[in-house]
Amino acid sequence: MGLEIAASGVQALQVATVALGAPWVSGVIARVEAVVQGRHGPRILQPYYDLIKLFGKESLRPAGAGAIFLIAPFVAFACYLTVPLLIPILTTFGLPLGSMGDILGGAFVLALAAFFVSVAAAETGAPYAQLGASRTTTFSALTEPVLLFVIFTVGLLSGTDLPYKMAETVTSSASQLVRPAHLLASVAMFLVVLVETGRIPVESHRSTNELGMIEHARTLEHSGPYLALLTWGSQMKQMILYALLLNVFVLPWGLASDRAAGSVVWAIVSLLLKCVAVGVVVTAIDNSFSKLRLFKITEFIAAAFLLAVIAVLTLYLGGG
Amino acid sequence: MGPDGAPSVLNGTVDTIAVVVLLAEFAMLRSTLLRSQIRLYAAQSFVVAVLAAVLAFADNSYELLILAALSIGLKVIAVPVVMSRTVRRAGADVAGAGSLRAASSALIALVAAGFGFFAVGRLGLQAHGLSPTVLAVAGAIIMVAFVLMTVRTDVVSQSVGFFSLENGVSVASLVVAAGMPLILEVAFLFDLLVAVVVFGVLIRVHHAEQGSLSTSDITALRG
Repeated sequence: MGLEIAASGVQALQVATVALGAPWVSGVIARVEAVVQGRHGPRILQPYYDLIKLFGKESLRPAGAGAIFLIAPFVAFACYLTVPLLIPILTTFGLPLGSMGDILGGAFVLALAAFFVSVAAAETGAPYAQLGASRTTTFSALTEPVLLFVIFTVGLLSGTDLPYKMAETVTSSASQLVRPAHLLASVAMFLVVLVETGRIPVESHRSTNELGMIEHARTLEHSGPYLALLTWGSQMKQMILYALLLNVFVLPWGLASDRAAGSVVWAIVSLLLKCVAVGVVVTAIDNSFSKLRLFKITEFIAAAFLLAVIAVLTLYLGGG
Repeated sequence: MGPDGAPSVLNGTVDTIAVVVLLAEFAMLRSTLLRSQIRLYAAQSFVVAVLAAVLAFADNSYELLILAALSIGLKVIAVPVVMSRTVRRAGADVAGAGSLRAASSALIALVAAGFGFFAVGRLGLQAHGLSPTVLAVAGAIIMVAFVLMTVRTDVVSQSVGFFSLENGVSVASLVVAAGMPLILEVAFLFDLLVAVVVFGVLIRVHHAEQGSLSTSDITALRG
């Protein structure tokens, strides 16, 4: 066994992987999408250039917007830096701060970020930003019960509410993989990820039509470094949700089971590759379905809810 | 039982297939187009046939394969073809009619499914070392099929609901009595065939007399 990395070092690497890897994942997904649509598409590193450009620009504040408008991007960014401490990004074992919060805690921190961005959007007084804020809040209130039932399933399956324990349970045997509860919860979680990352069939993320926007509309009034933080934050949120889906539910393989440098580096590489794989699936969905009408989104979320409830039901009877 | 209270791989697979049948039932409840409903029924029947095949290989009881082949021929091909031809001939309605909106009927079905789950699950029936979950899921399928037949007010959806109810019963019978004599299973299938003929005639007569596939007109006949 070669070099070992200190536990706190691995912890820091988890955060760094998400912070620095998220724009790359977004860049690759954008490129894949362009290729699927027969375009050449932007460079893979384009998201980094965009962030650098935005950090160098001046920022404007709408008249009447208060302190929260300026604080929100920082709070949201801090939240997205905190969540990678709580969920299994690179390791199957708990890290020093990993037991600081359970899976509910992670969900709360993500909700706090969404709350601040929405309040900032309401602060601007601009119609489209406010529309985005109210829509986001409505739909996240609807996805909340789905997420709760998914968390219940995770809890019943693994006997704990710590996400990395769940990853351990799934990798323990093939019989854990084919249980209907696990499969149903995974599908429900995937649908939640589609809603939360603003993808078809909920939202067309490349659209510039404000009336069709949900989450994207909230940041319309921010500019310069503030917009850079929000954009970076949403890229990180996407990667966090992908990592949660992959490492807790679908593909918890490739995670490091010890602190050896080699296995941690392999964990980073495999996570990035797995995220790109999810991105390709999402892109395929993006390009083969049309956007749902706004009032049909509730039915989409209801389908996810149905899956999550059936997951809990099959489990509750034992066995399932 | 596998490690950590998880069912064995076979049990898990069988449970998952049963859950897919249940989800197909929910999809039928959700879909409004009669054509897609019939297609979903065909897909559901195919999944039930797959379940029969899996159990055949697991139990080494290869006569179940004959049953799987028969049910593919009958429920995946023959019944859907007859049903869609009937719908096309009638030509009146493309979409079915429901007395409730999609979300409310889904909620009612969810409650009914939960009832089916617990009612059957509490019996604690155990067969061939298979987990009781499959039976509970079969109970849920039957309950959802009942809801489908109740909330829809067109003849086609109601008959599709009835046929898919038979799929739920098939799931239960496959699990409980996989070793049941083949002749009995085949007899069930032919029962279904009779039902198809009866429903086909009913749909024809109803359409000829009312000019639509909706049953809500019949309410007007009350004395």
